[in-house]
Amino acid sequence: MKEFNIVLAGVGGQGTLLAAEIIGSAAVKEGLNVRVSEIHGMAQRGGAVVSNVRIGEGVYASTVLEGQADVLVGFEPLETIRNLKTASQKTTVIMNTQRIPPVELATKGTAYPTDEEVVAKIHMFTNRLIVVEAAALARKAGSRLAQNSVMLGALAAAEGFPVSAESLVEVLRELVPKKHVEVNVRAFELGRDSVRKGQKRV
Amino acid sequence: MLQDALGKRALLLGNEAIARGILEAGVSVVTTYPGTPASEIGDSISEIASKVGLYMEYSVNEMVAVEVAAGAANCGVRALTAMKHVGLNVAADMVMTLAYTGVTGGYVIVTADDPECYSSQNEQDNRFYALLANLPCLEPSDAQEAKEMTVYAVDISEKLELPVFLRTTTRVSHTRGPVIYGKLRKPNLKGDFVRDLKRLVMVPANSRPKHEVLLRQAARAKEISEESPFNMVVRNGAEIGIISSSSAFNCAVEAATLLGLDAGILKLGMTHPLPEKMIAAFLKSHNRVVVVEELEPYLEMQIKAIAKDCAPNTVIFGKMNGQYFPREGELTTRLVVNGLSKITDKKLPMDFGSIEETYGRVVKDLPSRPPILCAGCPHRASFYVIKKVGGDMAVYPDDIGCYALGIAPPFGVGDIMICMGASIGLGQGISRVTGRNTIATIGDSTFFHAGIPALINAVYNNSKMVVIVLDNLATAMTGHQPHPGTGTTGMQARTERILIEKVAEGCGVKYVRVVNPFKTKEAETVLKEALQQLGPALLVFRAPCTLMDAREKRHKGVEITPSRISEKCTNCMACIKLLGCPAITAENGTVRIDETSCSACGLCVSICPFNAIEGGCAE
Repeated sequence: MKEFNIVLAGVGGQGTLLAAEIIGSAAVKEGLNVRVSEIHGMAQRGGAVVSNVRIGEGVYASTVLEGQADVLVGFEPLETIRNLKTASQKTTVIMNTQRIPPVELATKGTAYPTDEEVVAKIHMFTNRLIVVEAAALARKAGSRLAQNSVMLGALAAAEGFPVSAESLVEVLRELVPKKHVEVNVRAFELGRDSVRKGQKRV
Repeated sequence: MLQDALGKRALLLGNEAIARGILEAGVSVVTTYPGTPASEIGDSISEIASKVGLYMEYSVNEMVAVEVAAGAANCGVRALTAMKHVGLNVAADMVMTLAYTGVTGGYVIVTADDPECYSSQNEQDNRFYALLANLPCLEPSDAQEAKEMTVYAVDISEKLELPVFLRTTTRVSHTRGPVIYGKLRKPNLKGDFVRDLKRLVMVPANSRPKHEVLLRQAARAKEISEESPFNMVVRNGAEIGIISSSSAFNCAVEAATLLGLDAGILKLGMTHPLPEKMIAAFLKSHNRVVVVEELEPYLEMQIKAIAKDCAPNTVIFGKMNGQYFPREGELTTRLVVNGLSKITDKKLPMDFGSIEETYGRVVKDLPSRPPILCAGCPHRASFYVIKKVGGDMAVYPDDIGCYALGIAPPFGVGDIMICMGASIGLGQGISRVTGRNTIATIGDSTFFHAGIPALINAVYNNSKMVVIVLDNLATAMTGHQPHPGTGTTGMQARTERILIEKVAEGCGVKYVRVVNPFKTKEAETVLKEALQQLGPALLVFRAPCTLMDAREKRHKGVEITPSRISEKCTNCMACIKLLGCPAITAENGTVRIDETSCSACGLCVSICPFNAIEGGCAE
């Protein structure tokens, strides 16, 4: 494996940073070289958030070059679109369908793109789109707040992803607060299974 | 991180790696003022300080942080101070002359620069401080190096008896990478002060000879730089030479690979003083050399000066002529690829232009999602009150903290914001020459950091203005670190709280009031009164940061019942237009409260003109 590039995009508070840390720690467990880079907005919550995870021997730089993402994990549709610059035909986009409407919609009267528009925009970069109903799956697992574990599970099932699901779950158990571990492990499995079944490929 | 697991490989943030380096170097006194991207260094140490037996403090500002550490380091104790880049401006007065006195225990000053201004008011390049102060400077490019260089910096500081800079950037401080643990070294907090006036009392008669000593030590530092394991040719290549440092080096290596360049690469980890001989030899062995660095042409200027004497025929490319790399913003792999491609005539590995063009079309008209005050943030209530009373005619000097977001709609509170503590001084100048109502907003931690001298100035010179301290009981933006008003120390021990209102009274402010901003009517009343005063007035708007408050409630098992919209709602949008709370949204003209993000602060309940929102009312 030369390198495997993952971009995780979402909204502050969605758990993208934790997801990125879990992937990074799992990669280290498996003896891989990795860089996990995080930039969060100025405030603690509510702004756009992006993490880059790059795995491989030849990896030095912190961020994914334009068009070089192997997987773009979008925790929210709008933020998925905002990070399409990192995508190209080789990229698999794994997207949570759960929308978080930005405040601007109400204050400036702008419109959130329709589902069709979202898909069309993604297709301008890649046809490999997997949508995940992370909110529903997280609820099924026991908590709406476990959407990040659903997305992590979905990523684990992505083609070519170099870290094993076992390592991810092992780290998840270490990093998630004890009382939420079981819910998150279930959420992880539901996310992974939803992609494995391949029903949601758009 | 406390494990003495020699050889263990763990994923650490750059800043955590520096913390691990602190433990491996036996650093015994750690001081800091929190600031992105440096905060996690102090925070990691604060968590474990009492267990390890080292002393850690959140100092009131960076200047004091350096003073405390320098005091200890002049008693032979190993010390380190961490700060963000602009913090070094605050500490500069101390640092510039500390270079003359020197230290007896190893002393490292970590400056975390922020190219691209991700969380900062400017993107100054602090390597110039090393040049200015004649002090050694190390620049790690990843987490492993961040740890190793921390240990190395302590070591050479002790050898040279000089403070040493460890300069990171956002991408180094905030990138996680594998770090191999070394041996822990027990801290030694026991110092010994030896009276030595010639060395320590910087009156002119002592300063002059100490300046000469500094220059001699700087010459020794240059010898160390020539031998330093962090300055090395990491790759040989005939086509072209590249000299680089810090995260720019990472981009340079990948860019050279992407372009298929047969490039020799000289990596500089100790960037002050530069290893002149090593650089001269590298220049001589290449006809063309590219200097790849982020922000200012700090290396390029010095390398060109070296070349003039040692390798006048080598052509040097960089950013001084503005052609190949930008002098502003974050340096990305893409920018390095572009620059190298221009210099070498190599074909770009991909069509960036078309990616850019398609991307431009895709994000055109896409709603933006800038950082925003959290749902339940007490600053929202404060700004609502300030705007209602001050209106469009008042002038609003603003300060550094989450509350800088008050400039955004719907409040627009914040007319001038420059650096820590500046709002109070700026307000005095504005009020004096315009006669307009002037309302300065400043955070609690910022008030302690740099607000107090300016407040005394306002009293002394009888400046008419209102200072509102937005007291959310933490240094919130950087991760809820404690400050003098919180009653907790960096050692996580209880201490006497210093109340802002008492400080203001002690400074001689005649009109001082404390109010909870969620009690909007009361807050409006005191603000109106404050504006009637002939001299300075100070209000403390006090309510805890909502994230901290929510965490505490979760701990105690207190249920939060989100506010609800009742059938009385006319969808007039007043709540949205007046508050801009992320928990209140409107799709297709219908107002909705998102129950997962609502913190039940009650602000919308109290301002709804139709009493159509139910829930905990703050009034």
